[in-house]
Amino acid sequence: MSGSIRLAWQRRRVPDVTSDTERLAASLPSIAGRLNAPRRALVETTVGGEPRLVDRELVTVVREEWRVVDRWWTDDPVDRRYFEVVLESGRNVCVYRDGERRCWFTQRA
Amino acid sequence: MVACLLIPGFELRAALRLRPRLALVPAALAPEPGEEPLLGPVTAAAETAGVTPGMRLGEALATCPSLVLVDRDPATVEREWEGVLRRLEDAGFAVDPVEQGVVVFETKGVERLYGGVRPALARALEAVGSGWDPRVGAAARRFTALAAASVARPGQTLIVAEKEEESFLEPLPLSLLPLPPDRYAELEGLGLRRLGDFTQLPQGAVAERLGVEGRNAWRLARGGRRAKVRGRKPAFELAEALAFPEAVANELTLRRALGSLLERLLARPERAGRPFRKLALAARLVDGGSWRRAVTLRDATAELARLRSALGPKLVELPCPILELRLEAVELAEHTGQQLALVEPAGEEVGVRLREGLRQVRASTGTGSVCAVVEVAPWSRIPEARALVVPRDV
Repeated sequence: MSGSIRLAWQRRRVPDVTSDTERLAASLPSIAGRLNAPRRALVETTVGGEPRLVDRELVTVVREEWRVVDRWWTDDPVDRRYFEVVLESGRNVCVYRDGERRCWFTQRA
Repeated sequence: MVACLLIPGFELRAALRLRPRLALVPAALAPEPGEEPLLGPVTAAAETAGVTPGMRLGEALATCPSLVLVDRDPATVEREWEGVLRRLEDAGFAVDPVEQGVVVFETKGVERLYGGVRPALARALEAVGSGWDPRVGAAARRFTALAAASVARPGQTLIVAEKEEESFLEPLPLSLLPLPPDRYAELEGLGLRRLGDFTQLPQGAVAERLGVEGRNAWRLARGGRRAKVRGRKPAFELAEALAFPEAVANELTLRRALGSLLERLLARPERAGRPFRKLALAARLVDGGSWRRAVTLRDATAELARLRSALGPKLVELPCPILELRLEAVELAEHTGQQLALVEPAGEEVGVRLREGLRQVRASTGTGSVCAVVEVAPWSRIPEARALVVPRDV
């Protein structure tokens, strides 16, 4: 998501551009961005691999857990273990561990 | 004087722009899928190895096992050709494109500007660029100019004076004439190999044996009619493109992307209310090639639903997943009037207010600040693959 915003802002039009530059800008393709792209999260886990701390906040309940394994036939396979957790502050957060990259992300599932 | 600028094997040259190394090895343009397996233009290395354009694929591979087949790239070819034409137009030539790689223009209007015919033609070659190996021929008549360009060397300018036209055309091969292949074979069977041999025949006899096309070819072999070259109306650049974050093959996703592109194209102020007469849909394929289909509408229209139903079925013809979809307005109708509705459709007023609101947001925050969420694969198990954020700059 953030990547798409940055790209969109790079194409911001300057008021006094020449017609050639405008024509060139118009011919460039718009980059479609991802909605709900995952963001990095700081997660500490228990021995069983369940999140204990998410972004330095204590997890009170793990509400649900599921796995997504997909696109294993491509160069960019997906292997994720999702957790829907409730934090100490009462916030409901969805995090997952990426089995391919071996790191944690947060995302609205 | 009429000039003809020729770039032999333009389709192959354009397809090799991104893979210049292949130009040095035996390579040929692959046959069109689903058509007769005949090769397109070939590189010089392939020609040295005995492969010729139009050769059967099996024969070519038997002759030269290391032959590389280059996939057709119609979108790149179209773009590069438009670039060549625009550069010539920028240099002051009113061009009349015959086909991709062949363009005709009058030098009369620019001779004084550049100081004569030869400097004007040199300027045309310079405008096109030496990378394309263009050659140019000039004569009083169109066909002679084309013949002169086809015998000129790369970068050479060949001018045929009016009184030398007949003697110039005489020794040239019959293949310059626009005849079907079986006609060439028929003429060769009769012992005719040169244009001069053909023009020796009486016109009536040629017309009787070869019909109308034979009579036209006979006239061309004598230089053809003296006709004025009409420059094309410069193409209007009106296009919208959408690049996907990953390769897309799903028809629903493609149709939604097309809908988004149509909305953006319809909202372009350059259209000035004119409906579309002809549109082209192009795509960049995941394997590096491209795909292009042009659609001429029976009635020029600017109605979203009708445009969708005219272009949508073309998406089924895509051969593989794509990385970018592009929609080009090839031709706009001249009229702007539209039949008004007696009763405005429900929700029209809300739509107008919304568009005006978005216009004001864009005006205050800049291009790219307004985006639309396009749901592309709501069934996907991967959350970020369910929808795309598409900028709406117009």
